[in-house]
Amino acid sequence: MLDAPSRKNLVYVLPGLIVYALFVFVPILSAVVLSFTSWNGITRPILVGIANYAELFADGRFYVALRNNAVLIIFYCVLPLLIGICLAAIISVVRQRERLALRTLLFLPYIMPTAVLGIIWQWLYNPAFGPIDQGLRLLGLGRFALPWLGDFTFVLPAVGAVATWYFFGFCMVVFLTGMQRIDPSLFDAARVDGARAWQSFAYITMPSLLPEIRVVLLLTIIASIKSFDLIFTMTRGGPGTATLVPNIYMYELGFHLNRYGYAAAVAIIGAVLVFAVNYAIHRLVRPAHGTA
Amino acid sequence: MLNDFLRRMTPLTRSTAGAALALAIGAAASGSAHAQALVTWDDYTFAAQSAVIEQLNKNFEAAHPGVTVQRTARTFDDLSMTLKLAVSAGNGPVVTKVNQGAGDMGAMVKENLLVPLDPYIAKFGWDKRQSDSVLARDRWSDKGEFGVGKTYGISGLGEMVGLYYNLKVLTDAGLKAPTSFEDFLSELDALKAKGIAPIMLGTAKGHLALHMITGIARAHIDAANRKPLDDLIYGHGGTFKTKDNLDAAALVQHWAKDGYLYAGFQGISGDDSVQLFVAGQGAFLLDGTWYFGDMQVNPDIHFTPVPAPAGVKAPLSVGGIDLAWAISTVAKDQASKDAAGQYIDYMVSDEAAKAWATAGYLPAVALADASGIKMTSLLTEGIAMWNKLNANNALGHYDDWASPTLLKTFDENTPLLLANSETPEAFVDALDKDYQAYMATMK
Repeated sequence: MLDAPSRKNLVYVLPGLIVYALFVFVPILSAVVLSFTSWNGITRPILVGIANYAELFADGRFYVALRNNAVLIIFYCVLPLLIGICLAAIISVVRQRERLALRTLLFLPYIMPTAVLGIIWQWLYNPAFGPIDQGLRLLGLGRFALPWLGDFTFVLPAVGAVATWYFFGFCMVVFLTGMQRIDPSLFDAARVDGARAWQSFAYITMPSLLPEIRVVLLLTIIASIKSFDLIFTMTRGGPGTATLVPNIYMYELGFHLNRYGYAAAVAIIGAVLVFAVNYAIHRLVRPAHGTA
Repeated sequence: MLNDFLRRMTPLTRSTAGAALALAIGAAASGSAHAQALVTWDDYTFAAQSAVIEQLNKNFEAAHPGVTVQRTARTFDDLSMTLKLAVSAGNGPVVTKVNQGAGDMGAMVKENLLVPLDPYIAKFGWDKRQSDSVLARDRWSDKGEFGVGKTYGISGLGEMVGLYYNLKVLTDAGLKAPTSFEDFLSELDALKAKGIAPIMLGTAKGHLALHMITGIARAHIDAANRKPLDDLIYGHGGTFKTKDNLDAAALVQHWAKDGYLYAGFQGISGDDSVQLFVAGQGAFLLDGTWYFGDMQVNPDIHFTPVPAPAGVKAPLSVGGIDLAWAISTVAKDQASKDAAGQYIDYMVSDEAAKAWATAGYLPAVALADASGIKMTSLLTEGIAMWNKLNANNALGHYDDWASPTLLKTFDENTPLLLANSETPEAFVDALDKDYQAYMATMK
């Protein structure tokens, strides 16, 4: 049967394709159409051509949201990757039982919904009864007890730190899996040649982990550009626009200001950004032989 | 071509929603020949408020056999966000609370999503229970003018922004309740000198800072000079760039900068700051009567109008009434509308007013007989203030009623003002820019 022409086999994937089209393609296409209209959610949409996009590219708030998102990429992507790879290197050399315990413990934040994490951390950061500031005061470091989620300087790193805490365990597990794939004889050979631990890590482990690094980069960058729930539960984009990101901006435009057409334009640009950044990673981060 | 498609699409969507609704009604009707579900949405999300409304709903069901109230409670922000969409889709509430002003009620009237209540006002005599100036806050003309035309809502509770003070904290500091604005300012200095947080505030969530700034600004306007403010809010034109607004913004910025506000207020939500105040933290808190239910737990807490400066005999307040009860166009037939009318009549009845007063909240209608109600000191003070404001024609508005986007503009700019990142002039300019942009669309 499977040797039949592929168009005949299409019938078997059709049910899945229909569901996929209905719940993925149709909404995407609807959003694209909507982005060319002015629509308040109640009356009929009015076609406005590229007016929403023209307004968007001149909208200072949108650039603020993009800038905040760029900063968040450090916390969603770069820091978890670095912490994850270091932890994986450490955990890979400890004994099996301890390794399992540590891996489970460090992976734990990743199994929790980010909205729940947002609510928990909002309480942890509370300057009046949150344990972080209370602990600082207890240690005589009261001047460092800040209103973390209300401070224009520290709010973005404070939210970003939660994202780092959420993602580093995931990165670590991916890298641990990748390390198991590396041929142990490479490390033995390096040791015989007199290589130190850091040299083995830099010249064997790191290059061998490039496929995993690429996967981690792709997934965490998508997560950072899609970031919404963590920020929504912790700050709703505030104070002012200090933690405004494109998805929060889209939500505000649509559900608070009833500008669904303009909000759709923000969504489309966000999606284009995800594609563009991931394409760049796909092209740039690859093993030297280029087969992965 | 695309416009044609969109034009066709909307009626199709509406027809589908209508068919679904008809099926749902049919299915419900098949269960019981006379059963009638009355879907209601309200914003009574605080536990004490929720208990009252649940009891009132039970009373209404008992008095109207066959009618089942299906209640959904949403926070102020969630209600505002979802109501228009749900009603326009045809599957929202029949009876709902709606925020007065351009953002919600004005927009819904413009799109024919609300039913005028004038026949029910005449039938049940609501205009005898509440003054014309109170009902005017729920009026919108067919041309989109605020404060005139048909009446689309009526409120069950009075709402005013005032000054909460903790008498014990003041007495311990050798102070008394302030009687004038000058007195209030000197007490703040005295408290700060003693190391006591003079003003409790939380700006991470909620609108406490907005109510504080506007409450102070309004206390500087005498009711005799209220016309420019009424014109501004009712969309007749005007400006937010007034001396009162500017002075209030400058004063609150000074408080934030120089340590008059509770430390860490930027990271505390409005509701949390109320709980801290109830726990005895801070001497003053400026906000509305909707916190009576929480505040009454501490008998040391009292409520008074925001002190006015010398020379202002009848200062205006912020607020006036809570979100209005309204009938949405989800009520298609006369029977549904009449059931909704009866429900609202009960919600603004003397019986409902007694239930609210018993729970410590301020009813919008005067109690015909207050005997048997154990009044909290807060409620007694609130009723006295309510009566005085009404007698002086000094019941104010919420500033954010003036334009659909003004609440958002306030929310975005207040943290900047308090962080000293925006001058009071820039703050007031931002509000005025928002308002003038909206006014330009009305021409």
